[in-house]
Amino acid sequence: MLKYTVRRFLEMLLTLFIIASATFFLLEAVPGDPLLERVERLPESVAQNMYHKYGLDKPTIERYFITMKGMLKGDFGESVRMPGYDIHQLLKETLAPSARLGIQSILVGVTLGLLLGIVAAMFKGTWLDYIIVFFSVLLISVPTLIFGLLLQKYVAGEWGLFPIIGWPKGADLWFGGWKYTVLPTLSGCFSYVATYSRLLKTSMLDVINQDYVLAARAKGLSEPQIVRRHILRNAFIPIITVLPMSVAFALTGSFFIEKIYSIPGFGRYFIESVQARDLSIVLGQTVLMAAVYVAVVFLVDILYTVVDPRIRVGGKQ
Amino acid sequence: METKDQRFTIVGCENTDKEAIVRPTITYAQDAWRRLRKNPIAMGSLVVLILLAVMAIFGPTLCGQDFTAQSILNKNKLPSAEHWFGTDSLGRDLFARTCIGARVSLLVALCCTLVQIVVGSIYGGVMAYFGGKVDAFMMRVIEVLMSLPYLLVVLIVMLVLGNSIFGLLVALCVTSWCNTARAVRGVVLQLKSSEYVMAARTLGASPARIIRKHLLPNTLSILILNTATSIPNYIFQESTLSFLGMGLQPPDTSLGVLISLGQAAMEFYPTQLVFPALVLVSIVLSFNLLGDGLRDALDPKLRK
Amino acid sequence: MTETILEIKDLRVSYDTYAGEVQSVRGISFDVKKGETVAIVGESGCGKSVTAKSIMQLIAKPGRIKEGSSIVFDGRNVLKMSKKELRAYRGSDCAMIFQDALTSLDPTMRVGKQIAEVLTIHGKCPKKEAAEKAVDLLRRVGIPNAELRAKEYPHQFSGGMRQRAMIATALAGDPKLLIADEPTTALDVTIQAQIIDLMKELQQKTGAAIVLITHDLGVVADIADRICVMYSGKIVERGASADIFYRPKHPYTVSLLKAVPRLDLTNKQTLATIDGTPPDLLAPPAGCPFSTRCKYCMPVCKEEMPGATAFGNGHEASCWLHDPRAPKVEGLFCETKEACR
Repeated sequence: MLKYTVRRFLEMLLTLFIIASATFFLLEAVPGDPLLERVERLPESVAQNMYHKYGLDKPTIERYFITMKGMLKGDFGESVRMPGYDIHQLLKETLAPSARLGIQSILVGVTLGLLLGIVAAMFKGTWLDYIIVFFSVLLISVPTLIFGLLLQKYVAGEWGLFPIIGWPKGADLWFGGWKYTVLPTLSGCFSYVATYSRLLKTSMLDVINQDYVLAARAKGLSEPQIVRRHILRNAFIPIITVLPMSVAFALTGSFFIEKIYSIPGFGRYFIESVQARDLSIVLGQTVLMAAVYVAVVFLVDILYTVVDPRIRVGGKQ
Repeated sequence: METKDQRFTIVGCENTDKEAIVRPTITYAQDAWRRLRKNPIAMGSLVVLILLAVMAIFGPTLCGQDFTAQSILNKNKLPSAEHWFGTDSLGRDLFARTCIGARVSLLVALCCTLVQIVVGSIYGGVMAYFGGKVDAFMMRVIEVLMSLPYLLVVLIVMLVLGNSIFGLLVALCVTSWCNTARAVRGVVLQLKSSEYVMAARTLGASPARIIRKHLLPNTLSILILNTATSIPNYIFQESTLSFLGMGLQPPDTSLGVLISLGQAAMEFYPTQLVFPALVLVSIVLSFNLLGDGLRDALDPKLRK
Repeated sequence: MTETILEIKDLRVSYDTYAGEVQSVRGISFDVKKGETVAIVGESGCGKSVTAKSIMQLIAKPGRIKEGSSIVFDGRNVLKMSKKELRAYRGSDCAMIFQDALTSLDPTMRVGKQIAEVLTIHGKCPKKEAAEKAVDLLRRVGIPNAELRAKEYPHQFSGGMRQRAMIATALAGDPKLLIADEPTTALDVTIQAQIIDLMKELQQKTGAAIVLITHDLGVVADIADRICVMYSGKIVERGASADIFYRPKHPYTVSLLKAVPRLDLTNKQTLATIDGTPPDLLAPPAGCPFSTRCKYCMPVCKEEMPGATAFGNGHEASCWLHDPRAPKVEGLFCETKEACR
């Protein structure tokens, strides 16, 4: 097991390295000059200093090695677009709102989704099932963007129930300013509701047809007991392996929701930075996201063996 | 002996049809289609999709409006007998524009899906066929592609290739085939070690026959499902990119472009957002529901 | 002296499929007395498993038990029980052993807990005591290191062990009737004998009645007091074990017996087979279901279902050959023990 873990860890590092390199060269391939806007009106000598400061006067390969060396020390360089900023500062300021939004969306969305999934599976083939299926599919068929816009226009704008934009700051950063978070959380949770209700329903229907459910019925368990003690336990196995992925994606922010509701989050800066070819920020964000993703995949592998006793033994042998 | 009941003479069973199969045999496809037909939601979605396709193809001719004709007198009109969905800020007929937009979006989605399925199947098939080091290397490529943030790849491709249909196609396809490839690889690997394929081989089935009788039916259902879920996804992504100003740009049109224009006018003329959005949602919803129905229909385990 | 524990009358079960109504069980009746073992024998698809599930009221959609059927357990009609009564009945009055113990045990729950579950849900004893009893039960079914084994998961057990655990589960509720649905089919021949011996031994200790469902006459010979031979959803012959084995009165039973491998056959003798397949229960024949495969088929067999002819000691067979109008067939029904060999 230890050997396996170490190997997986080294593989993770390799993947991260490849991703960082790929990001670097991809950004290099984009035509245009990231500093052009800022140096346009500056005198020649100042402009040259600028290029020198960001290392943009050196050839690509040399800059690649400089960047990679810096990355090892955790130094991604200064932002081109926002002078004086680097990735660490950006993370400090933006990660909290994104993470709170993500956690709230997941908590609400997954809970609701799982409940609906259980109901749909238990009442399979009835109108209740059809309604749940229809609505969960409807929820993923409406782009987050349109949901966000509509909620903002009607619930916040016309009815004035919640603030149109904004996000809690300072002391309220994590717990407080709830009214600001209601609509963004709602917009964000829909996709989880849809995904998880369908996932759990499918998984439960798989389990319901298993012999051990029939055996449990023959033991004299009531239907709720069967669901609680046997069906859910087994049906949750696929859920537990998908959940960490959702969490990984949610923590790193949702671009649309952050943009619509003007939330100072992580996702908002990403597209702007790519468009501005702001290498240090893009690289930092990409590596962070990829690291979270790869780490979560690793975690899921280990989690799988904990949840499913069949695999646990397989790993030992 | 003459009086003996004729019904009581032994005739045996030699000439009877003892091996006759009473039940009609139906093929896998027939069975899937039969179950799909019984699913009201899936059939409803199919009808809606056909209607939308007809609208996308014949809509502009039907309403008799040119989708590019501007008219300053008819700016921002509400829906009427003449302009079914009203007009936009340049006085262009919104119904005709929505039809054209839907046509473009559907075409983009179909092309991307085709590329994804073809590339994914070949890549996945090769991976599974060769196995070993080739498989490990090709798998690593997929792993890297999938860990790159999706938006980064798409944005960079669009930046390099520019806001054209071609750029959009490449951007949307560049990583999407990975999942198909993984799925196909899984099926082929499973099949390679399955006992019924081994049985077929021992019985002297040729590779061509194994591919035709076992590989194709098994991958086909996965690919059909992949198609059904990919199309709405692409439509979604196209609209998202256009909203960001990264997809198609006016004067090119698509549902995404229309929605992003509609969003600008949303404050005062919400219909300009609502109609294109409604068409987009109907297409995506129908495809998703149909995909759901297909999944149930194609799963032989759910057969009664 | 013997009291009836289970009485089934005119049981009919149908499955509604896309192609129409499949009549799995077409009006069977039999009874089981306290402490005895009744075997239901027949080939695949003849309705034996459906019968077993019906006794437990486990028939799920699209199947249904038709009107007019009755299953009476200890004076109570199982088909008319409320959900609550059913729960009390299942597991504690009547327990079931399933064919495939691997798929019938929950892979995510420790074996001991699955056995203890029967005790706790029926409120027979508190959790802790139930866990101890579960270990005890495992020991009783012959599992070594029962304390440790109870904490393991089903996949850590071998095939025979799993079936033993399954039997322990069934015994946990101390049932008066045990239904064993092909308990040995998924096992090796050597393990089969062990399991049958175990069941015999446990029956002697607990005095439970057993309904044994199997397609293997070899298994039956050892344990059954009485045998019902099923074919195409009907019981074609029934009687005491000895009668069925030595004096079969139905051509199907005769063919079945000839198809059992025997050690005293010489190399030259090939094992008998029964040609053809059973009729499709979607459109069951009007006459005798075996008529399409029977060497002694007569025109009447195709027209009408024969009634049961009694031969004494509860031995009955449904075949037109026993009609006084039918010709006598020499050597088909062995009159003596020797004639059968």
